Amino acid sequence: MPTPVPKVLVNEVSVTFESHRRSVLALDRISLQAHAGEFLCVVGPSGSGKSTLLRVLAGLLRQSAGEVRIEADHPGSPLTAMVFQEHALLPWRTVRDNVTFGLENRGVGRAEREARAREMLAMVGLTRFAAHYPHQLSGGMKQRVGIARALASDPEVLLMDEPLAALDAQTRTIMQEELLRIWAALGKTVVYVTHSLEEALLLGDRIVLLSARPGRVSRIYPVDLGRPRGLEVRASPAYGALLETIWARLREEVVRAMAEDRGPDPDRASA
Amino acid sequence: MRRFGRWLAEHSIAVGSPLVLLGAWEWASATGLLREAFFPRPSTIAVHLRQLGADGTLWGHLGATLVRIGWAFALAAVLGVGIGLAMGLWRGLREGLDPVFAVIYPIPSILFLPLVGFLVPPGEIAVVVTTAVTSFFLIAFTTTHGVRQIDRVVVEAATHYGARGWRLFTAVLLPGSLPSIFTGLRLGLGFALIVVVAVEIVSTSRGLGALLWLSWQILKVEDMYATFFVIALVGAVLYHGLAALQARLLPWVQDVADR
Amino acid sequence: MPVALLALWEMASRLALVSPRYFPAPTTIGAVLVDRLTAGDLGGALLVTLARLGLAFALAAVPGVLLGLLMGIARAFRAAVEPYVAFVFPVPKIALLPFLLIILGVGEPAFVLTGAASAFFQIVISTLGGVRTMDPRLLEVGHNYGAHGARLFWKVILPAALPAIFTGLRLGLGLALIALVAVEFIAAKSGLGHLVYRHWQMLSTPEMYAAFALVGALGLLLTRGLRALQARLLSWQEESF
Ligand SMILES: Nc1ncnc2c1ncn2[C@@H]1O[C@H](COP(=O)(O)OP(=O)(O)O)[C@@H](O)[C@H]1O
Ligand SMILES: [Mg+2]
Repeated sequence: MPTPVPKVLVNEVSVTFESHRRSVLALDRISLQAHAGEFLCVVGPSGSGKSTLLRVLAGLLRQSAGEVRIEADHPGSPLTAMVFQEHALLPWRTVRDNVTFGLENRGVGRAEREARAREMLAMVGLTRFAAHYPHQLSGGMKQRVGIARALASDPEVLLMDEPLAALDAQTRTIMQEELLRIWAALGKTVVYVTHSLEEALLLGDRIVLLSARPGRVSRIYPVDLGRPRGLEVRASPAYGALLETIWARLREEVVRAMAEDRGPDPDRASA
Repeated sequence: MRRFGRWLAEHSIAVGSPLVLLGAWEWASATGLLREAFFPRPSTIAVHLRQLGADGTLWGHLGATLVRIGWAFALAAVLGVGIGLAMGLWRGLREGLDPVFAVIYPIPSILFLPLVGFLVPPGEIAVVVTTAVTSFFLIAFTTTHGVRQIDRVVVEAATHYGARGWRLFTAVLLPGSLPSIFTGLRLGLGFALIVVVAVEIVSTSRGLGALLWLSWQILKVEDMYATFFVIALVGAVLYHGLAALQARLLPWVQDVADR
Repeated sequence: MPVALLALWEMASRLALVSPRYFPAPTTIGAVLVDRLTAGDLGGALLVTLARLGLAFALAAVPGVLLGLLMGIARAFRAAVEPYVAFVFPVPKIALLPFLLIILGVGEPAFVLTGAASAFFQIVISTLGGVRTMDPRLLEVGHNYGAHGARLFWKVILPAALPAIFTGLRLGLGLALIALVAVEFIAAKSGLGHLVYRHWQMLSTPEMYAAFALVGALGLLLTRGLRALQARLLSWQEESF
């Protein structure tokens, strides 16, 4: 059996932020792959470079070293579309016009844009709110618009940066199930950043655990919890065991990151 | 009718208190409690206002003031928004112009009258340019501020979805700075009115400011009040009109009323 | 950049590219400024304008803040007073000058009150805005922690409104300066505004520009100084425009 070409290939990628005073190594020789149709979750403590990795994949940031390849299967489609953490909608555009924004920039005709917006808004359950402005929507609804905007441009790979982090617990749970439904319907390749292990276990095919500063791949865990997956998976013993394993490792990383943030104790140091 | 009744009930104090005040003023002037020479009765003022309107005096002066404000505001708005946008977009320009603007801006605009008079033909043009000075700076400042306060994440998202160059400008940077630009336009219009009245007092024989000053000099107190009323009305209409226009044109801005 | 502009002006004037009669060289103006500030009329005029400004500001600040706070706290009072404030706020206060002149006579009280009126309404509007746009959760927190009545006012409402009040005072001071200089230009026979007017009429341009520059420096000092003071005193506040 020939090994399939990975949809997303990240090879030895490093990112250094140079500011005039100091330089920060945000990503240190990261390597990972996502297969076509895979739901890949990236987990790590705050500051481990998760957003940086997504921004490199999205082409918003150039890596300092290494290679990024995204396999293009549909000519004319954009390589990536990102769902941003703070939704990042254009406040002066209605929901519909936010969803069609990317298509508009690519010169897609009006009729097709409208049809596509209708389809995507139906998929995220916002048909009735097409003419609303973002400020008239709740946090969960705004995030759905962000998802519809990304889906509307029909990207090769869907990138999501903690899209549910700002939502309340109930809304988040509902959105997680919706994401699973949409992903099952569209079969997109997804790279999904979250700081919630539970979320990664519910959604992902594999989990990439990043270490804290500099961001390195600590380990990659396959999630063998079956599909289709729903909230009831949380009751299964396999879920509990995997959560325990990854959490033990993640806790180490978090503790290490916090210790570094605290730095050497100034009272101690002077004594 | 029912809705009007409810509106009236809710706003009874707002509608009632000016009426009560006018009534009290009328009564106090009539009974001599207030000196009628200084505080003529509202009803007398109304009569004088009607006379000024009927013989055309008022319209001539009002027209002159409005034309000046119109030109000055247009000048300040076009230059202010244009230069403000450029300063918001290009750092070098901003850093070059900021110190110059910071020095000139706090100077009360009436003082520019002599200076402007040296630079452009004195008369109408000098009046218009002087009126435009402070408005220009205000509008340029708020426009620059408007460009700079746009959420960087929103700009990044727009770029990610393919908005570049001119398209980024028209679809993101311009609409993003519009609320701030409107605030500047409103402030600028208010300042234009202040300056035009002051300039008209000093250097012209036409315009509401000139009419006000003339009425004082020949001690036509009722005409003074009538003119003041018209100036106040112009101020209120311009100010609240632009606010209403903003609410209409920028429906995505939530708190127009609070700005 | 300002230095470059001044140098350009200096050259243009010296080489008579622009008429030195209307645009004397900055160094000439500077010499006049230094000369007249200590010995001549400039220093005196500056003091007069400053005194008027201080008085006008004091007269506007205290009642303005009080009225704004009262309107913010008492709904019925606000409903009664707001129409007047909304009507008078956009009116150029310089238009009040002739009324004050006939009622009070030509003199300092009329001049100063015109400046005070300019500042007053701005201060009222800003203060009211500060109370009204305050986060209602703060009130609830205050209640929860046992602040009621006067305590609630002193410990929660006033501090919450303070940044807006300070902004109002700053803007008010600027407006008072504008109004007073205009009054001096138009009606008073003293002060920096009058000095600009007189030297304009006599076409003694170096003196005119010197007074002009002094007003500019005063304005710059006041706006910058108050901004710095605000940043210093209200350090919890975010940068505001
Ligand atoms: N534009 C930037 N300039 C400088 N440092 C940055 C920049 N963006 C991120 N960083 C730094 O890079 C590291 C990783 O950031 P980020 O990717 O946002 O982490 P995460 O999303 O995992 O919380 C952090 O230490 C952060 O401070
Ligand atoms: Mg992040």
